[in-house]
Amino acid sequence: MSQFARIGNSYSLALSQNEAEILINLAEQLLELLGEGDFFHHFDNSDPLAQLLSMPKEIETPEDPVLKRLLPNAYSDPEAASDFRRYTEPQLRGAKQRTLRVIREELTSIVDAQSDGGTIFNLDSELWLKALNDLRLALGVRLEVNNDSFETFELLPDEDSQKPMYAVYFWLGWLQGQLLGLLTAN
Amino acid sequence: MVKTANKEEVSIEAFFDKPWITIVWDDPVNLMSYVTFVFIKIFGFSSEKANELMMKVHTEGRAVVSSGSREEMERDVQQLHEHGLWATLQRDDQL
Repeated sequence: MSQFARIGNSYSLALSQNEAEILINLAEQLLELLGEGDFFHHFDNSDPLAQLLSMPKEIETPEDPVLKRLLPNAYSDPEAASDFRRYTEPQLRGAKQRTLRVIREELTSIVDAQSDGGTIFNLDSELWLKALNDLRLALGVRLEVNNDSFETFELLPDEDSQKPMYAVYFWLGWLQGQLLGLLTAN
Repeated sequence: MVKTANKEEVSIEAFFDKPWITIVWDDPVNLMSYVTFVFIKIFGFSSEKANELMMKVHTEGRAVVSSGSREEMERDVQQLHEHGLWATLQRDDQL
């Protein structure tokens, strides 16, 4: 039943209970992942100036492929990439975390209502667009998605453990496409 | 008010500040319509230009989406990363 709608410049999203739960679950998994190895862990507590400026001494390229995709290197040169990451990664990570927390909160209101489903009214359409995209990127990296993945998905037997993940991935793409259609329609 | 730079200063500035470019790389996840939308939003491109660049990324694997000073390109890359696009910056002559 998932459905974005637009009246004037006001956007809403109707979801079933089950769909809201799936999205909350994904948002929480990604929040957890983004919380790992964030810049507070890189703090050198013995350096009061670095503490004062909230500036980590160094941040390494994340090892997890999902984080590597969401927080990519800006330069091919490792030294320049590391320097850029030191100044910008906490901000980028924080922006992605805030976005996910907003949608988690809105989705929770649907689940808490304990009816069959519900609608989020007056949502921030561009925030939702980014959140859905980050969730798709995370799933896409885990599934190692490529241009033939829809065929792969269709050919997977129902009992394959990856089948539900693929289904959610393509559903998110459909949902994001729906929102984009509304945003670009005049 | 900023004083108008003399001719010599302008050319030096152009030489040192301009040769940086932002590149967006193809990835199998981002929707084509999303990439076009982000180009319009961040760079203010017309939908034709945004669509053309998106198709270039899609078919050639990458496209230069902006050029300017290193600082400007770093800001562009930051914004693109915030929107989940895979972007890097480099000196123009490296491509």
